[in-house]
Amino acid sequence: MGEEEKHKVEQEKPCSYNINDNADLLAEILARLDGRSLCAAACVCRLWGAVSRKDAVWEALCNRHVSSSATDSSFPGTRTVVAALGGYRRLYRRCVGPIFDRLAASGDHGPQSSAVAAAAAARLSLSLFSIDCYERLSVGGRQRPSSLLFLGSAVDVT
Amino acid sequence: MVDSSYGQESSANKSISTSPEIDGLLAGVGYAIRPSDLPHVAERLEKLDSAIIAAAAAGLPPEFLCSDAVHYNPSDLAAWVDSMSMLTSLSSPPIHPAPAPWPVQIYAPAPLSTPTVDLLAPEDAGINLVHLLMSCADSIHRDDHPSASKLIHEMQILLPRVGTAFGIGKVAAYFIDALDRRLRPRPSPPAEDEILYHYFYESSPYLRFAHLTANQAILESFNGLDRVHVIDLNLKHGLQWPALIQALALRPGGPPFIRLTGFGPPEICEVGRRLADFARSVKVPFAFTRLDEIQPNLLRVEPGETVAVNSVLQLHQFLSDPGSPGPIDSVLSWVKALRPRIVTVVEQEADHNRPGFLDRFTEALFYYSTVFDSLESAAAGAGPEVYLQKEICNIVCCDGEERVERHEPLASWRARFGRAGLWPVPHGSSAFRQASMLLTLSSGEGYSIEEVEGCLTLSWHGRAVISASAWHCGDGVDAPPLAGNIFFNGYSGSDRRE
Repeated sequence: MGEEEKHKVEQEKPCSYNINDNADLLAEILARLDGRSLCAAACVCRLWGAVSRKDAVWEALCNRHVSSSATDSSFPGTRTVVAALGGYRRLYRRCVGPIFDRLAASGDHGPQSSAVAAAAAARLSLSLFSIDCYERLSVGGRQRPSSLLFLGSAVDVT
Repeated sequence: MVDSSYGQESSANKSISTSPEIDGLLAGVGYAIRPSDLPHVAERLEKLDSAIIAAAAAGLPPEFLCSDAVHYNPSDLAAWVDSMSMLTSLSSPPIHPAPAPWPVQIYAPAPLSTPTVDLLAPEDAGINLVHLLMSCADSIHRDDHPSASKLIHEMQILLPRVGTAFGIGKVAAYFIDALDRRLRPRPSPPAEDEILYHYFYESSPYLRFAHLTANQAILESFNGLDRVHVIDLNLKHGLQWPALIQALALRPGGPPFIRLTGFGPPEICEVGRRLADFARSVKVPFAFTRLDEIQPNLLRVEPGETVAVNSVLQLHQFLSDPGSPGPIDSVLSWVKALRPRIVTVVEQEADHNRPGFLDRFTEALFYYSTVFDSLESAAAGAGPEVYLQKEICNIVCCDGEERVERHEPLASWRARFGRAGLWPVPHGSSAFRQASMLLTLSSGEGYSIEEVEGCLTLSWHGRAVISASAWHCGDGVDAPPLAGNIFFNGYSGSDRRE
């Protein structure tokens, strides 16, 4: 039968699917990377750079730090607040990344050790992030917001 | 001129360098130095730089450091920097142990004696400097100004030998300057208050700890309320409030309406505007009012609002000499009359309000040595030290109404609040966890958090520096102020920004 033969011929052709053809799928995949890998992925090509800059990708990364499953960690309203404060990418770069790295390195209050500690670290990240956002609102006086300098140099994703 | 390729530069300079081990790049600009010496020279130059800055901050003329120097060949950088280092006693590498326990005999004023300055090793010179400081303080305590002046002069000669880059020398430099200012008052150079405050905020965890701990207590007390009114006794630059506004924005059930009343000079209207912009961006209903500190009775509490009063490093300014009545009693009864849900207080954990000058001086020397030691571990530079210098000068130089830095320990405050009818609210485990986490993030291995009867204390190497506590009225206030409250009188004379 003609259709069966056509189907067989199609199956024998080599698969020519390219991940770059589907940016949403790419975003889903990149959203599962850790911070450093995500920055490396941003350097691959222009499309990957654009997809990695999507705030939703960084939102998934931030939420994963708080709990293992991404669905129950964020409550309604967080996205709008974080977006108003500067976005998840900036939140990760300036606060969540350095804070969770530093806490993991120190050992004793490791956020991996308990969900309570992870939630506390996330709340602390948001507090410090809001101070940083407030400093950026300042027009006179000092030029650069510096309240987060004590966290050390952050991973630059620009 | 700058060429990123080292190979190209050195080949261009091969004709200039005399021997292969001399660094080619520096030889090109006239300095003969071996690459192996470069880290040593860099380290010495850094220490020399901080010694010069500290000497300048202490008011000593720069000639102090180099009046005896003989410069043989400045192009021989290694030898030159060593000759400078000898003068500033930088020969021993800096060590940062925990502050050693002070020898007991320091409490007794040492007899006046002329030390043989030239023959003292740096460590002995440090101890001698402390003895001189105590003698000088004792002379001032006994109103013996000529001896005090003489001792100050001796200390200024001894100081370069001790070295003012770190440790006792650095603290002593500030105290010697303060003693000198007490004897010979002179106007201090204008200081950029905001910049110094930010240096202090950034380089140590004290203010962050204060703000976040107080915020946690306020947040917990505002649970389930729709209209809240926060009164800040000293708004400063408002760095405490963005975190609270954000936490209330994320509260399950949505944010309450927040009114913030800040006490301070007219400049804080700008701070209020910025906070209002911030609150608007995270969609929190917010109103700001500024009040002058001399007109607290203009405060207006709307019906239905729950009040929180916040004071960070401010209440001690209302104290007066022990035994004499001061504004503190009327301030505390004013606070109590507001029937606040919670009163958050952060104060320095120190005893700088003793009537005797020598006691005050000794306590201040201990306390600020601890604080400076903690700042050193953060390699904070001179900024936060100059911020603290104002406090030191106020404690040492001023008396009567001018002295506002009247720090008292937590135990005294507890008794005072008890008399005024305010009882402690213990900080919960969230506040403790947040504070510990904050310390883990701060540089400096010596910080620790202790809980003392419900209050959190931030210490450096076991010595308490700052304590955060929360209080409430004893009569179980849950209801907001009644319509008959004397403050609700419809007066609208203060600036309002919504």
